[in-house]
Amino acid sequence: MADIIQYPLWQLPLLILMPLGCIAAMVICLRRLAHRKEIPRGEDPDWSVPSLDDDTGATLLHRWDVRAKIVTLLVYSFAVASLEHLTPSLLAVVLSLTAMAIARVSVVRVLLRLLALSGFLGMLLVVLPFTVPMHSGDTVLLFGGIQWLSFNVRGLLLAVTIAAKAVAIALLMEPLLATAPLPVTLNGLARLGLPEMVGQMVLLSYRYVHVFLHEARRMASGMRVRGFRKRTDLYTLYAVAGFLGMLFVRSFERTERVFDAMRARGYTGRFPEQGEFRLQGRDILLASAWILAGGALIAYDRIIL
Amino acid sequence: MHISDGVLPTYATVGGYVVSAALTAWSARKTRSQDLPKLAVVTAAFFVASLIHVPLGPTSAHLLIPGLTGALLGPPAFLSIGLGLLLQSFLFQFGGLTALGANTLMMGLPAVICGWIFQRYKGRTQKRQAIVGGLVGALGTAMAAIFLALLLGTGGEDFLGMAKLALLAHIPVIIIEGIVSAFTIGFLARVKPDLLRAAFTPASRETDG
Repeated sequence: MADIIQYPLWQLPLLILMPLGCIAAMVICLRRLAHRKEIPRGEDPDWSVPSLDDDTGATLLHRWDVRAKIVTLLVYSFAVASLEHLTPSLLAVVLSLTAMAIARVSVVRVLLRLLALSGFLGMLLVVLPFTVPMHSGDTVLLFGGIQWLSFNVRGLLLAVTIAAKAVAIALLMEPLLATAPLPVTLNGLARLGLPEMVGQMVLLSYRYVHVFLHEARRMASGMRVRGFRKRTDLYTLYAVAGFLGMLFVRSFERTERVFDAMRARGYTGRFPEQGEFRLQGRDILLASAWILAGGALIAYDRIIL
Repeated sequence: MHISDGVLPTYATVGGYVVSAALTAWSARKTRSQDLPKLAVVTAAFFVASLIHVPLGPTSAHLLIPGLTGALLGPPAFLSIGLGLLLQSFLFQFGGLTALGANTLMMGLPAVICGWIFQRYKGRTQKRQAIVGGLVGALGTAMAAIFLALLLGTGGEDFLGMAKLALLAHIPVIIIEGIVSAFTIGFLARVKPDLLRAAFTPASRETDG
């Protein structure tokens, strides 16, 4: 039978509001921080532009061969995602933080990634404790004797474990991507057997996301100037639909022009490669050490716990 | 709504990757190879479109537009959505590296199905195109929500309650998505009807001239 602990009803809002409040406070702090430190507001750094200051060799992760880095981090991410207990998941977060520290990546960008995760994970933290089915041995908190609204501690643990795993993997994305220019990373992927066209498509669409974002912002400010304000009504939906339609018309036309211009400049389906790849002993050493760490986490998760 | 890392069991994430990879390859074969760079640029436009928020009472919801993407692109939509989600998880701070395959499946499959339905039943008049477009828009989001619930269900009974809640939460989004899709398709039917022909599929080009 499950352990049932009774609480008066008034403590229930407290229990829900406290973590929600904590998350909200964290999100607000992160936003503040991100805004203060962010380069010009609203301008994402465009990684498709090759960086001029060649910072190869800056840290251990910068010097790591791109191919070894991609394979290692992918395998390791899957290992982390398949963990089932809280302690190894928290260890994975610590390991990711170490990798971040070694790679000396921008803290702001990492925080932005966590911010994007906070919505889904916050919902998980609130919903799972109330919806997880009751098992024998579970600790259940009841508020004011309402039977259908029981707070299951096992659900909370499950949600926290998932959050830890998601954070551990999200923290690794910056060390993976920011330690080499994007074209080099994509070339590395192509060397690993991904069709070359995929890398080109990623580069192209990444570049044009920025262009179309700019366009969308201009259209939005045009609408605001003419007095449009978003409300919950049919007219807003009509206006948003017109906005979408216009965005599609303009972008499809632009696409044709872009492609013509590319062909006029001699595009034959390939971009020139940047940099060269050399797989050395230390690349493999680092890769094996990292994958071993992932294996150790799984072993700890499945055998010891 | 995208699934984050660490929710799905390993067989679901790996399976999602395998099935998505197969469908992406199919989708790429359905696209003329010289059109692939163009598809990449168009993907950027859909990506930006999916960032638009619509107010919904005190909160707001962002558009998912699997239905619209499918209606405008046809089978290449799967490739386009996979690319968009890859961009999202790699470069725009939304995580989900291991759940990428499952997420692509969740959004891409409804898009392709909706595209097929739209091309088949769109008819000739503007009004009919708008109505079918709206239905397809609502259907695309509904299917994406159902896939989301099914995927969450692979996590075992612990996630069933969550899956049901996720389905319920999508109902207002489905309605909004349907209305916006109807208006958008109506707009395109008036302004640039060429776009409603699933421009990147070789078959539709040939039959429509």
